[in-house]
Amino acid sequence: MSITQAPKALADQTKVPRSTATKSTSTTNACRMCMPLGACLAYVGFDATVPFLHGSQGCATYIRRYLISHFAEPMDIASSSVGEAATVFGGEANLRTGVTNVARVYKPQMIGMASTCLTETIGEDVPGMIARITHPETGLAAETGQRVPNLVFASTPSYAGTHADGYHAAVAAVVKAHAQHGAETDSVNIFPGIVSTADLRHLHEILDGYQLPHALLPDYSVRLDGATMARYEKLPAGGTSHAEVAASGRALASITLGGLVTTGVELAGDILSTDFGVEHLRMPLPIGIRLTDTFTDRLAELSGQKMPAWLDAERGRLVDAYIDGHKYAADRTAIVYGDEDLVLGVVSFLSEIGIRTVLAATGGHSGRLAAELAAVNPGRNIEVLDDSDFEQIEAAASELRPDLLIGHSKGYATSRRLDIPLVRVGLPIHDRVGAQRLHHLGYRGTQELFDRIINTLIQVRQDESAVGYSYM
Amino acid sequence: MRKVAIYGKGGIGKSTTTQNTVAALAEMGNQVMVVGCDPKADSTRLLLGGLAQRSVLDTLRVEGEDVELEDVLADGFSKSKCVESGGPEPGVGCAGRGIITSINLLERLGAYEESLDYVFYDVLGDVVCGGFAMPIREGKAEEIYIVASGEMMAMYAANNICKGIKKFATTGTVRLGGIICNSRNVDKEYELIDHFARELGTKMIHFVPRDNDVQRAEINKKTVIEWNPTCNQADEYRALAKAIEENDMFVIPKPMETDTLESLLLEHGMLEVA
Repeated sequence: MSITQAPKALADQTKVPRSTATKSTSTTNACRMCMPLGACLAYVGFDATVPFLHGSQGCATYIRRYLISHFAEPMDIASSSVGEAATVFGGEANLRTGVTNVARVYKPQMIGMASTCLTETIGEDVPGMIARITHPETGLAAETGQRVPNLVFASTPSYAGTHADGYHAAVAAVVKAHAQHGAETDSVNIFPGIVSTADLRHLHEILDGYQLPHALLPDYSVRLDGATMARYEKLPAGGTSHAEVAASGRALASITLGGLVTTGVELAGDILSTDFGVEHLRMPLPIGIRLTDTFTDRLAELSGQKMPAWLDAERGRLVDAYIDGHKYAADRTAIVYGDEDLVLGVVSFLSEIGIRTVLAATGGHSGRLAAELAAVNPGRNIEVLDDSDFEQIEAAASELRPDLLIGHSKGYATSRRLDIPLVRVGLPIHDRVGAQRLHHLGYRGTQELFDRIINTLIQVRQDESAVGYSYM
Repeated sequence: MRKVAIYGKGGIGKSTTTQNTVAALAEMGNQVMVVGCDPKADSTRLLLGGLAQRSVLDTLRVEGEDVELEDVLADGFSKSKCVESGGPEPGVGCAGRGIITSINLLERLGAYEESLDYVFYDVLGDVVCGGFAMPIREGKAEEIYIVASGEMMAMYAANNICKGIKKFATTGTVRLGGIICNSRNVDKEYELIDHFARELGTKMIHFVPRDNDVQRAEINKKTVIEWNPTCNQADEYRALAKAIEENDMFVIPKPMETDTLESLLLEHGMLEVA
């Protein structure tokens, strides 16, 4: 497969071009998921927390099904089960009953609430409802005599943003409600964004390597990638503790990995910076050597430690792998799609190994992806398609005929129809096992991505060859 | 910045009263923004001299997400800033959600500048759904004035609005600032509304007499103050503006049972009239 078309130069590197005129008025198979899905994912990363959707039951069912299929772990999401009557009269009674039931059945520390399209559209005032539920004299505790869990709320109508926005809105809601002032600690807040459970574990490992006390907010690595228990647990252990959330307001610094969100969505790191004076640094996901170096340099600075020997060795092996594999990667082309943060990281990594990204597509609409790509990869004109769906991505792919598609499994149908191999990254991955064990971050994650990408390219060459091609 | 919302029964004169009051406040040197929260988008017509500006929601529909503040914000009489939320045609869609979308967008675009002395929300009719309550939620508006007259249905509506305010006041910062009587020349109207307001735990902040100059100014697409600054009615609106400027009585209202409301009407002579 040869390159049939060079990427067009962006007229304005600082702004994502508007969608092309050919865009249909409808969306077909959006390159994103819904905002409350992201909120639920974030909430399960906090210890003893039950996600709770104020809306119809279908929202909770869809999100449970989707996340279970990716993580292969139980995923309980409560719903206020708003039906026709509650839509007409308001869903406060349902919400109150729901909170009572969840408190009784799960005994959680926190209920992470998020709104849905229906309840946002009818103008439900969830913060007001929470204030009434937690009122010391007339609230639920006074009424039932039972302890009411901490209630936090994020506004997440799907038409306002993507799953990534919902994720960040939920993290911000938790931090806003529970971070505390006090004497500064030497701990660092890491806001990892939507990454795999393997990535979260690896982040712990790297930070421990720098002997840097830290909290990942949130951390679903245990709850969504746990061991099989002899007895089913309603509320599995694991996640960022309440104490860690409280201490986030006293931390030495915050690092947000990624954090490309739709305008209007607040980042937890910004809240901690504004309200608590915690220094906030936002940087792209550490994928590829340059972006991982940016991350590790910062960790070295914060900890005063040198890069641990094992990590330095991983870096060295990765450089070696780049050299060894370059003959396969050189001049290949790819379309990368998915969450903006992941796309930024993967495209920047590809540019290090000689694979040219002919299109970077995302369902997000922060409007900043093109500018950030240009900042990390100066001199490379990378065409960006934001707010996109798979009709657009497939049309582009069929014209550009890249060697590879790199993205989540929603692109499988496109890959199959156009006979372009798909390297699966990110979320959701429904048609392969082990999505939770995929590494993307750090030198190790990059190494794994590199091997998978190069092997996919070799496989294509082998399949195309009339004689088969092997070394021996 | 004082954040004010004007509520009241449909047709009671909310938009007229709001714009004339805003004109008086602006004349006094205040920087005022008016946000029309009515799908009819007619809350700023007098301040803008009839210039029908494009509403926030229409702009959103045409331009997509790339709305700029100057697309939806127009300068009106005496440097007042005018915004219309707009909304769907009668009978379709969800106007309440429109208000939420519009106010969220204005916040995102930074319409609520620090330099503003007042923001006025002029809200359609009764508090009919969650969307129309948006201006009194989450501290978006902190003081409410209800426009009423001595007519029974206007008082019913005002009482009903107080139920909404009470609900949000107990969990938030919104308070009732008073009842504006927009006179319909009902018998003993002053005493009736004065009593009505006290019964609600608030006060009648001003009695605006009925005057055809209001209609004359409206036909000329102007506020009274702009149309004829020396007429008597202009001074009435100045007095109302001054009363709002100096108001320090902000309460959680005590809405009445229907029986109490009806006995109030009887006490002030409705029965004799009949």
